[in-house]
Amino acid sequence: MSELRQIAFYGKGGIGKSTTSQNTLASMAHYFDQNIMIVGCDPKADSTRLILHEKAQSTILQLAAEMGTVEDLELEDACKPGAGIFAPDAPGGWINCTESGGPEPGVGCAGRGVITAINFLEEEGAYEEEGLNFVSYDVLGDVVCGGFAMPIREGKAQEIYIVMSGEMMAMYAANNISKGILKYANTGGVRLAGLICNARMTDREYDLATALAKDLGTQMIHFVPRNNIVQHAELRRMTVVEYSPYSDQALEYKELARKIIKNDMKVIPTPLEMDDLEDLLMEFGLEEEADEDNVGKAAEA
Amino acid sequence: MFILGFHFPADMGNSIEDTAVLEKLDAQVAEVGIDDITAIELEMGLRGKEVHKITYTNKDTFMFKALAAYLKDETYEEKDGEKYLVYTNRYQMSELSKRLDSDDETMALCKAFDSMEQFRVKAA
Repeated sequence: MSELRQIAFYGKGGIGKSTTSQNTLASMAHYFDQNIMIVGCDPKADSTRLILHEKAQSTILQLAAEMGTVEDLELEDACKPGAGIFAPDAPGGWINCTESGGPEPGVGCAGRGVITAINFLEEEGAYEEEGLNFVSYDVLGDVVCGGFAMPIREGKAQEIYIVMSGEMMAMYAANNISKGILKYANTGGVRLAGLICNARMTDREYDLATALAKDLGTQMIHFVPRNNIVQHAELRRMTVVEYSPYSDQALEYKELARKIIKNDMKVIPTPLEMDDLEDLLMEFGLEEEADEDNVGKAAEA
Repeated sequence: MFILGFHFPADMGNSIEDTAVLEKLDAQVAEVGIDDITAIELEMGLRGKEVHKITYTNKDTFMFKALAAYLKDETYEEKDGEKYLVYTNRYQMSELSKRLDSDDETMALCKAFDSMEQFRVKAA
């Protein structure tokens, strides 16, 4: 039996982490027979909807609140088998889905949901399911909030894939997440496994993503082009892999899946100082050097 | 690390020498054989929309070898007699070709490859 690999997808909010992660994991299961458990670590609980064909599954925190305590919760209430081609009895690999959930907006600490969920899943033996090859955490935003660094801090997720694009804030977040990984690399053993460029199709995006990856000491493992078929599939609450398995976009995710399965590059990242990051952005034309005389001045009429 | 779909072990680091890539490519070419391919047809643009066709013929280049090897590589599926060219691979082909090739035909193809357009390839 192969060793269980625990991976995580991090990235700036709105970058397409959940879409990228679900399509990639779907490819790993469908094309390469990998068995996977997804642990959604986002209060939006949208890390599993395309695998389950549902709007949003009931989260561990929601279910625990309904039952009274998390101790009253059973694994089968919180961990659902994937629908369609990801079901346990379908050919190929299967995917099990769970969502941590979070507090009402503006109330409490969302990171606590992540901690509660992982502890619950461990205690209930979810990680010991026979044939399980991968556990994947899909984590909200960057690691400014320590709670969301939980899969890293506790040494749960060993391989981190950062979903980014050629936009400034996405690059900033990728660098920040690398700082978080660096902080816990020696205590928890977490490593950066690569950047995934979920392309916005901006100028020189491939070059920029590759340059950032190199500076961080890692690889830009795959450039995922933008394609409307992803949205068409999402309208049916499906991954592209299931919606149109022979489409060009499905082939992109298939290639990313193949690489992740084969990937052995796991590094302690070397995050950039802010000045170096700005230099990189300037080199690729994302930022212009500020003329000190113009700082704070309104546009000419 | 992955270049042109080839896996380079982690101990080689994140900066792979061009010679190492060429070694893998040559080994693949020796295995699958590309002598039967004399020209490569490329279709640039989205399927079903307005497309631009390019015929690439310079057999003495890295670019030709990389494209021909891609056509023969079973990792990448063929559909309707052609293959969708994975973006990452093609950006990497362009990156390497700009260092290893110099003729005008290839440089023009590199320029096209650097765009956001989609490409499909087949043997002419």
